[in-house]
Amino acid sequence: MPIKILLVEDNEMNRDMLSRRLERRGYRVIAAQDGAQGVELAHSESPDLILMDMSLPVMNGWEATRLLKDDPLTRHIPIIALTAHALATDRVRAIEAGCDDYDTKPLDFARLQEKIHGALLEKKPS
Amino acid sequence: MNLKNLSIKGKLMLITMLTSSVALVLLSASFLVYDLISFRHVISEDLGTQAEIIGYNSAAAMAFKDASTATATLQALKAKEDVVAAVLYGTDGKVFAQYVRGNVTRPDLPPDDTSINGYRFRGSYLEVFHPVSFNGDPVGTLFLQSDMNQWSSRAKNYAVFLGLFLLVSAFVALLIASRLQILISQPILRLEDTMKVVSAKRNYEVRALKFYDDEIGRLIDGFNTMLAEIQQRDAALQGANDELKTRTQELETEISHRKKTQEELLGAKRAAEDASRAKSAFLANMSHELRTPLNAIIGYSEMIEEEIQDSGQIQNVQDVKKVQSAGKHLLALINDVLDLSKIEAGKMALSLENFEVAAMVQEVTATLQPAIAKNSNALQLELSEDLGTMRSDITKVRQILSNLLSNASKFTDHGTISMHVDRVSTSDRQWIRFRVCDTGIGISTEHQANLFKEFAQADVSIARKYGGTGLGLAISHRFAQLMGGSISVESEPGEGSVFTVLLPIQATADVAGATPKAEGTPAVAQETNPGAETILVIDDDPAVRDLMSRFLTKIGFHVVAAAGGEEGLKLAKRVNPVVITLDVMMPDVDGWGVLKRLKADPALSKIPVIMVTIVDNEVAGINLGASSYLVKPVDRDRLAELIEQYRGRNGSADHQAVMAGVERAANEGKTSKRRDPRYRSN
Repeated sequence: MPIKILLVEDNEMNRDMLSRRLERRGYRVIAAQDGAQGVELAHSESPDLILMDMSLPVMNGWEATRLLKDDPLTRHIPIIALTAHALATDRVRAIEAGCDDYDTKPLDFARLQEKIHGALLEKKPS
Repeated sequence: MNLKNLSIKGKLMLITMLTSSVALVLLSASFLVYDLISFRHVISEDLGTQAEIIGYNSAAAMAFKDASTATATLQALKAKEDVVAAVLYGTDGKVFAQYVRGNVTRPDLPPDDTSINGYRFRGSYLEVFHPVSFNGDPVGTLFLQSDMNQWSSRAKNYAVFLGLFLLVSAFVALLIASRLQILISQPILRLEDTMKVVSAKRNYEVRALKFYDDEIGRLIDGFNTMLAEIQQRDAALQGANDELKTRTQELETEISHRKKTQEELLGAKRAAEDASRAKSAFLANMSHELRTPLNAIIGYSEMIEEEIQDSGQIQNVQDVKKVQSAGKHLLALINDVLDLSKIEAGKMALSLENFEVAAMVQEVTATLQPAIAKNSNALQLELSEDLGTMRSDITKVRQILSNLLSNASKFTDHGTISMHVDRVSTSDRQWIRFRVCDTGIGISTEHQANLFKEFAQADVSIARKYGGTGLGLAISHRFAQLMGGSISVESEPGEGSVFTVLLPIQATADVAGATPKAEGTPAVAQETNPGAETILVIDDDPAVRDLMSRFLTKIGFHVVAAAGGEEGLKLAKRVNPVVITLDVMMPDVDGWGVLKRLKADPALSKIPVIMVTIVDNEVAGINLGASSYLVKPVDRDRLAELIEQYRGRNGSADHQAVMAGVERAANEGKTSKRRDPRYRSN
């Protein structure tokens, strides 16, 4: 059964490109356009991992992450923050919000894969 | 009244009066005494002569015992007022005849002693005894008694006269003294008045009037000189005071002026800071806005490349790669605009890595080929064969070279652009020398001076004609300096230009100043918690280095970070850390290799190593000598717990001993995840 990844990203091109590339690697990708939708899909689809953009409309990534990590139903899902801002404070904020890891845009796909893999490995023992 | 406190006028009068009076009294007294003495002598002589005459006249009567004649003779003495008694004694001592003025019976007559020859003063009387002789025979003695009324009246008159004389002379002396004392007292009194004026009114302009050229005159001169001196000093003091006031006022003005300037400066500083913040925010936003589409460009082109490779249409791969390369170049440029603001803020740092010089140069020239060809220029590339690898910040070296090449192609038309790269050595260092030569318009000497300054294109018209931000050379210059190198230019207008970049083969973090890298990631070392125990973090992911450094610094360690295995090994020797955290998957030497070499070095083998990796292969790590094994994402509490065990300790031989029994074979079957085909990235 393929690993299910929820991609929360507002930029259409990035969403399309990332989901297609992830699908090429054999992952199943569900996409959300904003934080609220992301939280909703995380509940309904129970993904194995969430890739969360931080600058999102309706509800931003930090808030969505906090909601998901506060909820016993979704707490276990690893979240990797995708921060477009190349600023250290954004990453710290992402980790503080409860993200398990982060990566900065523009994404280095190989690096992202390593992070996805690491996050899934971490999740496995629990 | 105390005489000593008498006024000087009084004193002078008193002295004069006393002196003159005493002199007069003494003189008068001596005259009086002398006169009275001599007058007494005269009257006694006179009485003696009287006695002689009467003795002679009565001698015959005595001789013939004619008492009546003798008495008659004595009666002649009535004419002499002062003779009060006369007695003639016979030789037998009996009274022969006598005369008493007024015929008063005198009980004291005859005198008790008649044997005296001469005169004597008895009481207030003068008495004379005179022997009477007749023809040489003594017949008796004459006794005369005078009452000295003449003398005492004379003395009385004298005394009265002298008293009057003294009074008159004292009055005259007083008049003279009262006039003459003015000679002395007046200058002194006037001096005193002057002094009063000076002291009461603080008026140093008045002068004491000098009367005579005597001691007082000199005193007044001295006083006046002193006054003049005081006046002068006073004037000088006043002058100094006035000047001080003026200066104080000037200072106050100056201070208020400075305060105002300071406030203005503060305002300007705040405005500048606001502007700087606005600029930073703008740059951050711009970078976000630019990165988002770039993300798509690079991502899609990578995806297309994969798809093309899968479909076997290899001929199109080059085109897609050009898109990718251009995208990455653009990304680098965006980063460099961000970098410029960091350079300006002094926050630029190096990200050092080892790379092939020739490959890097070829990559840059390939990227720039379209730009070079645009003005029909030809490119000549001359690479020395011994270039090998260099350790530097490849992005920055690339940018320097592409800046120089794109400048050269911009300012050259139908010419040749050549790039020469060789190795040069100086006494202490090895360098890579890049020379970019063109046959373009060249740069005048005055413009060469401003060439490497920010926003200082050689000519405004050039900016219009050729475009560009004017940042390229400035950034290149600062980058070269950061990497310990330099950049210089030689040019002749119309003849072309030669830009020479000298970069050390081994750039060091020290050269770069070891400042935190972009976005707060430590490049090599982060200087915090001085004196604390050092932990070495070896990880190729800047994000991990950043997080680990922050966390470990927060719990009280000094953190040194290395981006690769080789660098990590070098730093381990240099800083002798208490603990090393080690990533497994790294580009140059992987974590296993680093661990093996750490454990093989006697100097380093005792340092506990915590493997921090996404590769879940704990047994392999422990077998190779790792003390602990953590899987990313790292559980911070667990990491802190582990590190606390090693605080203040050197070596972890015990841990190795515990793990010695772990079966080596358990490792054999497992493979590194990187080799797992499912996770291959390209």
